[in-house]
Amino acid sequence: MTDWFHPALIYLLGAFGIPLFKGNVRKGYLLLLPLLALADLLLMSHGLFASSGKVWIFPFLGHDLILGRIDRLSLVFAYVFVIASFCMMLYALQVKETGQHLTAYLYVGSTLGVVFAGDFVTLFFFWEVMAWSALFLIWYRKKRSAYEAGFRYILVHFFGGLCLLAGILLHLQKTGSIAFETLSWGWDFTPEHVASWLILLAFLINAAVPPLHAWLSDAYPEATVTGSVFLTAFTTKSAIYVLIRGFAGTDLLVWAGAIMAVYGVVFAVLENDIRRLLAYHIISQVGYMVCGVGMGVTGTEAGQMAINGAVAHAFCHILYKALLFMGAGAVLHVTGRSKLTELGGLYRYMPVTFHLYMIGAYSISGFPLFNGFVSKTMVVHASAMAHLPAIWLMLEGASIGTFLHTGLKLPWGTWFASEKPACKAEEPPFNMLLAMGLTAFLCTFIGVYPKILYDLLPYPVQYHPYAPAHVLSMSQLLGFTFIAFWLLRSKLHGEATITLDTDWFYRVTGRWVIWFCEVPLMAFAKWADRQVMSVVHFLVWFSLNPAQAVHIKKEEAKLRLKRVVVGHERTERHRHLLEEKRRRYPGELPKLTLGSSMALILLAFSLYLILYLLVER
Amino acid sequence: MKEGTKLLFRVFYGALAVILIASIWVHYATHPEVHFFWEGFPLFSAFYGFIGCVVIILGSKAIGHSFLQKRENYYERQDRKGSKGR
Repeated sequence: MTDWFHPALIYLLGAFGIPLFKGNVRKGYLLLLPLLALADLLLMSHGLFASSGKVWIFPFLGHDLILGRIDRLSLVFAYVFVIASFCMMLYALQVKETGQHLTAYLYVGSTLGVVFAGDFVTLFFFWEVMAWSALFLIWYRKKRSAYEAGFRYILVHFFGGLCLLAGILLHLQKTGSIAFETLSWGWDFTPEHVASWLILLAFLINAAVPPLHAWLSDAYPEATVTGSVFLTAFTTKSAIYVLIRGFAGTDLLVWAGAIMAVYGVVFAVLENDIRRLLAYHIISQVGYMVCGVGMGVTGTEAGQMAINGAVAHAFCHILYKALLFMGAGAVLHVTGRSKLTELGGLYRYMPVTFHLYMIGAYSISGFPLFNGFVSKTMVVHASAMAHLPAIWLMLEGASIGTFLHTGLKLPWGTWFASEKPACKAEEPPFNMLLAMGLTAFLCTFIGVYPKILYDLLPYPVQYHPYAPAHVLSMSQLLGFTFIAFWLLRSKLHGEATITLDTDWFYRVTGRWVIWFCEVPLMAFAKWADRQVMSVVHFLVWFSLNPAQAVHIKKEEAKLRLKRVVVGHERTERHRHLLEEKRRRYPGELPKLTLGSSMALILLAFSLYLILYLLVER
Repeated sequence: MKEGTKLLFRVFYGALAVILIASIWVHYATHPEVHFFWEGFPLFSAFYGFIGCVVIILGSKAIGHSFLQKRENYYERQDRKGSKGR
């Protein structure tokens, strides 16, 4: 126990200490937790704690729960999650609501739990905590649209969680093991492969692979300013991590990733909300990583390059995407606006925010000297090594779109576009700027000195990003993207529209389901209810005076027969008599003598005896 | 256009010219590794960047305007339509 301490516990336990402090002490405490976790990771890297292998193994129903699977892959993800959480918390310090900080750290902690999980049960546990803790970061926005988007978000994730659970149970039943290792994959219907499908489906939902991605672009832009910064990093990147663990080299992912990269770009063109535009670029960028995982066939040089690329890109992406969301969040924070149609000309008021945002934009676009350049090109290079021309063209094409939107359209529409500022604004609070500055520094530092990242990657890196040919071709690509943008910039003004996406299917069919429940299903339920109640009413009526009731029913039958035989007119007297009887019902109850009561009881007992004997046989 | 912006554009065009010349020079001087036939053209990336950008803008806008883009209250209207039907 003492040779290792789980970094997730620092967040998960530490989160509950947050409400105990106030003011500056609380701010200090919030920043201390990630630093402690970072120290924990450094102790692992330097061999003072367990630096590889499996620790914290607990027996559980005849299986082993492995809370700590430590190797290069889990460490590199843990590093970036911890570093990012520090920057994000610095950005969020001015938030007064304790609950937001608490859920943010539950979210970070559970993600670290996923990263170090060595078995499926532990993975599932943290997976679910991750899903609902993120939900609160959306709901804390306290707007109707946020509540609704949050509900849709959590429904999708519950579905994913159930797929994961079903897959795990099927996998356990077939293999007898809950260890989380590479899963067998195939297109047939053997139970083992079906289990893998279900698990893969759950992973793909979290990685936001189209058509399972709409929860991301729907919910993340609705989250709080600081919450959305947290959200950008953890769910999708932990999904990349588990995909590498379980499905490295799965051919399906190559195409899924490349399509995803382009898909996000196309939707980003149409988007008017700046945070939603950036959310589509999460999808696009995660596409590179999914593609890298798909190309990561173990044992080949291209495969190692692809996995390294996916991991490196996840690392860099977390930093620059956080920076971009911080910039967009700062605009929303000071102006209360996030639509391009309502923004413009803000450079006069927020130049510092603009320049820091642009560092994120250069990074995501893959400008040389920024971190996107040293990681994205690894994935693209892996596709060249694996001789996949279509994939290469799609990934390069997505790079163009990325620069076009996050580097040109968004900043142009927000900070420039019109001579007159769209509204009053100012620089955001100092801690926000500081967080952006720190993240921007990290983006640039990794871009200038990629060795520090490459040394952390799971495989040894034989790649030189700054080969002259790479730098020049990327510069050409970006330079001419700018020229095309400048020529067509009039077409890129924001339009006050929303874009339909695959969430349409569940938002509209969901409405049909509700209509079906409320109208036809309710009508049927009411009808069934009436039928049952009429039987009940009859029985109640009948039991008031069974002898008389039988008599009335008998008379009714007689009357009906008479009507058929002699006609309506001549049965009037009979009808009157019957009505009189009905009215007087139940009337005087017959008084039973003791003897007849006994006879009835005996009759009941003997009926019961016969029934009993029959059933017995 | 302001003076500063004009200067920026001049610097940009100058840098772009340097990049293009350098690309051609590097391509024929160092013969970098070629994986696909198009990498044999030293200015392919410039061409692809320009064409790609135009295609992305025009293509996406065409798709968006034809059926994907809706008024901002699209889903709320669907809600109201639904409740009226009931």
